[in-house]
Amino acid sequence: MAGARVVIVRSAKAWTPEGDPDPAVVTRMFARGFALLADTADGAAMVPSLFRADDRVGIKINTIGGRAISTRPEVALSLAGWLARSGLAAKNLFVWDRTTRELREAGYTPAAGRSGIKVFGTDADGVGYGPDLVAHLGVGSLFSKIQSEFVTASISLAILKDHGLAGVTAGLKNYFGAIHNPNKYHDGRCDPFVAEVFDAPPVKSRHRLTILDALVVQFHKGPSYHARWAGKFGGLIFSLDPVAADATGWALIERLRMAAGLPTLEAEGRAPLYLKTAEKMGLGRAGTASIETLEETVE
Amino acid sequence: MNRRGFLRGAAGAGLALGAGLPAIGGRLASAAAGPNLSRIEARYYVKRPDREIECRLCPRFCRLGDKERGYCGVRENIGGTYYTLVYGKVCSLNIDPIEKKPFYHVLPGTAALSLATAGCNVNCRFCQNWEISQVRPEQIESFDLAPEAAAARAAGSQCPSIAYTYSEPTVFFEYMYDTAVQAKRRGIRNVVVTGGHINPEPLADLLEVVDAVKVDLKGFSEAFYAEYVRGDLKPVLETIRAVAKSKAWLEIVYLVIPTLNDRMDGIRDMCRWINGEAGDSVPVHFTRFHPMYLVKNLPPTPVSTLEAAQRVALEEGLRFVYVGNVPGHGGENTNCPGCGREVISRVGYRVDAGRLKKGKCAICGTPIPGIWA
Repeated sequence: MAGARVVIVRSAKAWTPEGDPDPAVVTRMFARGFALLADTADGAAMVPSLFRADDRVGIKINTIGGRAISTRPEVALSLAGWLARSGLAAKNLFVWDRTTRELREAGYTPAAGRSGIKVFGTDADGVGYGPDLVAHLGVGSLFSKIQSEFVTASISLAILKDHGLAGVTAGLKNYFGAIHNPNKYHDGRCDPFVAEVFDAPPVKSRHRLTILDALVVQFHKGPSYHARWAGKFGGLIFSLDPVAADATGWALIERLRMAAGLPTLEAEGRAPLYLKTAEKMGLGRAGTASIETLEETVE
Repeated sequence: MNRRGFLRGAAGAGLALGAGLPAIGGRLASAAAGPNLSRIEARYYVKRPDREIECRLCPRFCRLGDKERGYCGVRENIGGTYYTLVYGKVCSLNIDPIEKKPFYHVLPGTAALSLATAGCNVNCRFCQNWEISQVRPEQIESFDLAPEAAAARAAGSQCPSIAYTYSEPTVFFEYMYDTAVQAKRRGIRNVVVTGGHINPEPLADLLEVVDAVKVDLKGFSEAFYAEYVRGDLKPVLETIRAVAKSKAWLEIVYLVIPTLNDRMDGIRDMCRWINGEAGDSVPVHFTRFHPMYLVKNLPPTPVSTLEAAQRVALEEGLRFVYVGNVPGHGGENTNCPGCGREVISRVGYRVDAGRLKKGKCAICGTPIPGIWA
């Protein structure tokens, strides 16, 4: 397996004076992230290599943490808007998560018009879960029809957080929100289940890209929001390698924990074991030695 | 079988109740109506710092942060307080023959008002009711039925018992307990069908208000429980011991799955354990497996395997051993351990208890243990 590239784009100006993410700056961060992933000057040039023009692209977000610690609307909608200006049809872009309630609580306005970017939950009328169980390795789940039927390509746009059971929740675990029974897969630090859900055909066959919203990182006591342990990192993390993206996210959490005087996740017995499992399953690179990290700042 | 097929089949499995109440199961709830969830504070949990809680209801001891749900999927930490989301939120309601649970030594030939909410605290790969047990409450249609209303409905339907069944009643403990109290006041009995994953304290409280407990003993090794049940055997055995020592009636069901838990040496060990720890009068049902959920690659259990298990159990001294899920099989009948004559005849759910008189064999007078009136 070739080494994996991970791009970290940061900005000190990512926030408006009101404290919300600035969509204009965030959009520039996306453009730069895509460019660095592909070694091109123009990030939009990367888009056709990831998606067909007629792909219906799902942007799977994580809104369980409410407004305080979810994939932020300013981030998800900036990405969708930028993709729409970079060759994809707006009507083919789906920003989605499990429920309408969680989307609203995270600040989204669910909308499923016939044109334009759509935002909705699996529980929206006419959506739901597929009728047939997907039995894959140790997992047996119904998948959201958004993941298994509506979209042809998928981006995991996850919030980066510490997780009391899994150690880290990021791009791979974000797909727990695509199954009907995630509560059944938190045993054993979610290992091997995080890797197995990702490896299931509805996810693996569609996943193209991981982007971690690391504007604010919950580096301790997650996945709930605790202001005391939420760090303003001001970054987005990109990778075509879903395991490398999460491994880099983990490293960032450890950086923030160390700065706060906290023990490592390993020391707390919470290292995200599922990353090694995912690597063994051939889903990507977990070892930092095999990950090339590019970090850049945008204005 | 897919969801629609299951619902079609299940809808005919029991006698649906009055207007406005669906039979078993239901379609996926629509977001337009909003999820029908309760917010009643759960029992048996402790608060931890930083809005965390630890659930003490079952042996999983889920430790959860704010906004997280337990393994069961029906209890949620909201701001540091733990809530049951399914109190009075019934997704399945039927009038069933009590033999369907199965209880063979409890009020034979009567009907039990049978109810469930969504959720379960294990994840058996061969679950026969996964469409309600392995979903979250907002993923299935439910309706409101308060404890007193459930008791009144049982009385109005001439059901001498309420059965907490189909999914795993432990996960709707608060609702089950309160309903049992209401039913008891009306002279209605309470019977529980459980996998036995419950901690001693809530179990002790439950045993104060229920009359009978059927435990699904799904295997007899920790390895089997870990791989196929996603739970532990030890707490189930503790539950069986506790029920056997209580005043509640106990029956045990063992679903015999080809190649997975059908070795006769294991079944013999289990029967020996039951006899030693719960006594020889505990009815044990060996029931037939049908391919379902995540185990669809195995055939239904051969009847000969069930008969072999029955023989082993009798050899080990158990006095009331049954073959289940094989309608018309002679192993459904209750034979007098004194004279060997048939005292209760069963064909499927048709029951003739005419040779049981006041809890005794009408031929030889040997007492037959159970709840008969």
